[in-house]
Amino acid sequence: MKVLAFSHSMDLALELVSAGRELGDVSLLVTSDQEGWINEVKGAKEILLCKEMDSGDQEGLVELISGLAGDYEVVLLASDRRGRELVGQVAHRLGASSAVDVSSLSVEKGKLVVERMTFGGKAIAVEEMGLPAVISVQKGKFRPPEEGKPSVREVGAPSVERRIEVIGGKEKPKVGVPLDKAEIVVAVGRGFRKKEDLKLAYELADVLGGVVGATRPLAADLKWMEEEVWIGISGVRIAPKLLIVVGASGQQQFAAGIMDSKVVVAVNTDSKAPIFEQADYGVVMDLYEFLPVLTKKLKEIKGG
Amino acid sequence: MDIAVLVKQSLDVQELRVDQDTGKIYIEDAPTKAGDIELNATEEAVRLKEKFGGKAIALMLSTWGASGKRQKEAREALTRVLAMGLDGAMLITGEGAERGDTYMIAKALAQEIRDKFGLVLAAEGSEDNFSGLLPARLAAELGWPYVAYATAIEVEGDYVKVTRSLEDFEEVVKVKLPAVISVTQEINKPRVPKLVEIVKAKKKPMDQKDFSPPVEPKLTIRELKVPKVERKRIVIEGDVEEAAEKLIQALKEEGVL
Ligand SMILES: Cc1cc2nc3c(=O)[nH]c(=O)nc-3n(C[C@H](O)[C@H](O)[C@H](O)COP(=O)(O)OP(=O)(O)OC[C@H]3O[C@@H](n4cnc5c(N)ncnc54)[C@H](O)[C@@H]3O)c2cc1C
Repeated sequence: MKVLAFSHSMDLALELVSAGRELGDVSLLVTSDQEGWINEVKGAKEILLCKEMDSGDQEGLVELISGLAGDYEVVLLASDRRGRELVGQVAHRLGASSAVDVSSLSVEKGKLVVERMTFGGKAIAVEEMGLPAVISVQKGKFRPPEEGKPSVREVGAPSVERRIEVIGGKEKPKVGVPLDKAEIVVAVGRGFRKKEDLKLAYELADVLGGVVGATRPLAADLKWMEEEVWIGISGVRIAPKLLIVVGASGQQQFAAGIMDSKVVVAVNTDSKAPIFEQADYGVVMDLYEFLPVLTKKLKEIKGG
Repeated sequence: MDIAVLVKQSLDVQELRVDQDTGKIYIEDAPTKAGDIELNATEEAVRLKEKFGGKAIALMLSTWGASGKRQKEAREALTRVLAMGLDGAMLITGEGAERGDTYMIAKALAQEIRDKFGLVLAAEGSEDNFSGLLPARLAAELGWPYVAYATAIEVEGDYVKVTRSLEDFEEVVKVKLPAVISVTQEINKPRVPKLVEIVKAKKKPMDQKDFSPPVEPKLTIRELKVPKVERKRIVIEGDVEEAAEKLIQALKEEGVL
């Protein structure tokens, strides 16, 4: 089976190459701004280099990928926002089946079989897809390949009538340790009354050597934290060995992001909050009273 | 310019019961509703039409079959968005829609949109499946540009200026109309309709249309499984000091401290 892969990020592109190798030979499309990746990409059969296309050109990419896809059975894209934006458009151009955020993929009797989370994380759907298929792959599910040097072939860019023009923008602030790689996470929710109070969570995370994540409203709505740190179905999925959820109700869309955590602790004033269903240890208390004491005691045993 | 808002009849996932032991998912027992982010799309449509004129209509293609309960819920979901200020709604139902994948649904919806609307607003993802595929496919079917994850929209003549939120970047784009745009929850605060608006909404036009599958689906769901998550659910008792000590002890025993 022949697989075409593309991502805006090199880390995710490498994960796609690995995912694709489970199905067959992978060609990785690389745009002009990504030319520097050529010496670093391993495991792909070939690199398709398009020197006349920039990865910020969404309409151009849809056209380019749809044009190249005719030679492939499967197109793999990343599950970041830019990647997901392409999936439906490319699939529809090709008259292909589509799925996003798949966690596994295999071929059975000429069909592609994929698994993905649905119903806000309450179920996993096993889907049978006709070929060709366009798929985005869940982040962090495949390790980058370690060997195999691809050949490089240049491809031309199609001419595109552009209706979208980028007229501005700014980078968002970067966070330190990526949440999905952290061993210990303190997740905060709307139970915190103001931004300054988050220091209670940072102090706890500090003494544990962990990082602080948040529910969506805190990051996206109140903007108390960077957007990369929101946990859940529309944010990051985490898998720490210890997760302490403080002042978050545990709505399904958040809960979907914490399922792979090893030990979960919940601190919430409401004993009926759904988060207690998702927790190994529940503390029904006011975070403003409990966190300072917990942090102090941890400091004592850690000798700090 | 008239605006179409895509409203999906989604399963209320918070209310959905699953049984981890038997693997049973009680889909039939769970209610359906308009997705939360679709309320944001509705709010944005209402604000845009108040500012720039035109009509804003909700489109719903129900994929839940002909059962009376689901039909009633579909009309309730549409009444909800009508009460927020939309001018009308169209409900498409019928045999075959249950098997619909995004390929089929996009083709069917495009027939109701082409030549009738200048802008389509949708949610970044539906409440129950959250794939975000439908608006992208619809744009491709219509041959219109597609911009996802909008956090602000302004109409400027034949264009819309859209601010959109990507993981690492906030981008501002100018998009030629007609276009399909999906919004995030952060774009606005949906108004909560008053009782009188809900009463009035029941009198607003709601067209019913029969669905006939324009194409065969490309994807089928073979199985729905319940992920196994086992949690101890131990409640730590005592006063603040005791609780903190007990928790630390438990975490030591777990080997995570
Ligand atoms: C399609 C869709 C996708 C979504 N994706 C995500 C996602 O990826 N991630 C996400 O997080 N959300 C997501 N949401 C939103 C989600 O449904 C919830 O609204 C959100 O998770 C709630 O955040 P919260 O727990 O911080 O706030 P709330 O639900 O308001 O909970 C606050 C909690 O704090 C407790 N509390 C209050 N005061 C105290 C105190 N002093 N001490 C201790 N506890 C206290 C309260 O009892 C309450 O349980 C999504 C929604 C939709 C519709």
